[in-house]
This record gives sequence, C-alpha cells and structure tokens, in this order.
Amino acid sequence: MYGRRRMGYSTLLFLHVTSAFTMVTAAGLFLAIALAQQSDRHSATALRLAPVAAILWPVGSLLAIVFGVWLALHDSQYSLGDGWIIAAIVLWVIGGAIGGRLGAGYRKVTSSGAAADPSALVMNLALIVTLLVMLIDMIYKPGAS
Amino acid sequence: MTVLLIRPDSWNLPLLLHVGGAMALVASVTVAAVALLQGWRASDPAAASLKRFGARTLLYAGIPSYFVMRIAAQWVLSKEGLDNSNAAWIGDGFLAADAGFVLLVIAAIVANLAVRRDPESGLGKLAKVGAGLSVVLIALYVFAVWAMTTKPS
Repeated sequence: MYGRRRMGYSTLLFLHVTSAFTMVTAAGLFLAIALAQQSDRHSATALRLAPVAAILWPVGSLLAIVFGVWLALHDSQYSLGDGWIIAAIVLWVIGGAIGGRLGAGYRKVTSSGAAADPSALVMNLALIVTLLVMLIDMIYKPGAS
Repeated sequence: MTVLLIRPDSWNLPLLLHVGGAMALVASVTVAAVALLQGWRASDPAAASLKRFGARTLLYAGIPSYFVMRIAAQWVLSKEGLDNSNAAWIGDGFLAADAGFVLLVIAAIVANLAVRRDPESGLGKLAKVGAGLSVVLIALYVFAVWAMTTKPS
C-alpha cells in the first residue's frame, strides 16, 4: 500500500515538475524572442522561435495545473484550500494570461508580419517575476504545517 | 507511515537556487537547441543569425545557470547531511550534472567556434555538433528531473 502510494506521489511530482520546466522553457523562448526583436540583425531568429514557444507554453501550463491539482488531491497532507496552493493557482492564472497574450502576439507577428508589440519586453519581465514568485511559493509553502 | 513533505526552513534557499538554476539551465539549452535546429533548416542570412543566437545563449545563459544549479546542489546535500551518501538518485544527479557539464562546454565551444570561423553563413559541421549535443543535454536533464523527483533506490 505504502509502495503504491509513494509511487503515485513520485510519478505525479515528476510530471508536475516536468510541466513546470516546460513552462519556464517557453518563458525563456518568449524572452529570447523579445530580445531578438530588439535588433534588426536577429529579427529572423525571433520569427523562427515563436512557433515552438507557442506550443510549449499552453502544453506546459495546462499540464502543470492538472498534475499540480492531482498531486494536492492525491496526498492527504495537501488541501486545495491551503493558502500556498490558492496563491499558486492565482499566480498560475496571472502567468497564463500574460503568456497567452505573448504567444498570441508572437503568432501574429510570425503569420502576418505585423510589427512587434512594444510592451512585449515589459510583459516578459512580468511573466518571469510571476514564475519566480510561483517557484518561491512552491518551495517555501508559506502557511503549510 | 507518511512521506516527509515539509522540510526544515534552512533547506529552502539552497533548494530554491538549485531548482531555479536547473530551470534556467534547461530553458537556456532548449532555446539554444531550437535556434540551432531552426538554423539547420534555414538558409542564409537567417541561418547565420540563428547560429549566433544559439551559440551565445549556450555561453552566456547556459553555463552561468549550470553553476547556480550545481553549487546550490552541493549546498542542499550539505544541509541534508547527504554529502557522502551512496543513494542511487544522488549518483544519477551527479552523473547528469557532471557529464552534462562536459557536453555543455563542448557544445558552447563548438557552436561559438563555428560563429567565429564563419559568421555570415549557415550552421556548418561544428554548429551542427552543437545542435546535436544540445538535444542530448535536454534528454539528460529530463532523466535528472526524473531521478530528483522519484528518487529511485
């Protein structure tokens, strides 16, 4: 019984953490695109990275929340009502909105050749801060007993 | 019997730096891999731009992230009193980190050498080796995440 439970917890944790790594990787690609768009020399680079980022972000963020909630339901020491889990879900919604907007903007630039959004760099920084706060919340688990 | 889910507060900072460094490392290597692989498929001058971007990402983002991850890993082990542990998952972590570092340095060197030798053309053999090594590194990092989270005995 213990072995099966442990196995389930470990597998869910692996899937949750891998999804979180995918989210951060997509954020890295978003940032790389924004930096590349700052110079004409690298503008072609930005267009080539955008499609991969546009796939990794939704897949990573969706799987992270699915496996995160599953993990909270699976283990009796966690509850979806815990403050740090509610905080993580709120941060996930904020991050999802920023990342979704960035991805849509880059897709538009790639498909129609529209001008890059001048606020993209600021949105990228906001996304990185959101992900960093989310990681701090996951590690420190404030309020958990 | 329950699994210990809440760790002592003093372990949190090194763990945050370890996981944050690992995330930055994976993101950097993946950005480089995507840029180099897209450069492989592209024609000049886009390929030259992608080659340069991928090579610089490995050098200026990948290698510093590695040091944050690796130094923090040693700090976590020290905090947990596992410096001399023979646990399989720790061995797997060392394997992925240390073998991965050799591959990361080789990938960064060959990709940047390719940029230096021929800055205005496509990938060439050296940068293609860098692209291939970046993909191998991503697979190695997935293995490391599996070992760190499931802790196989």
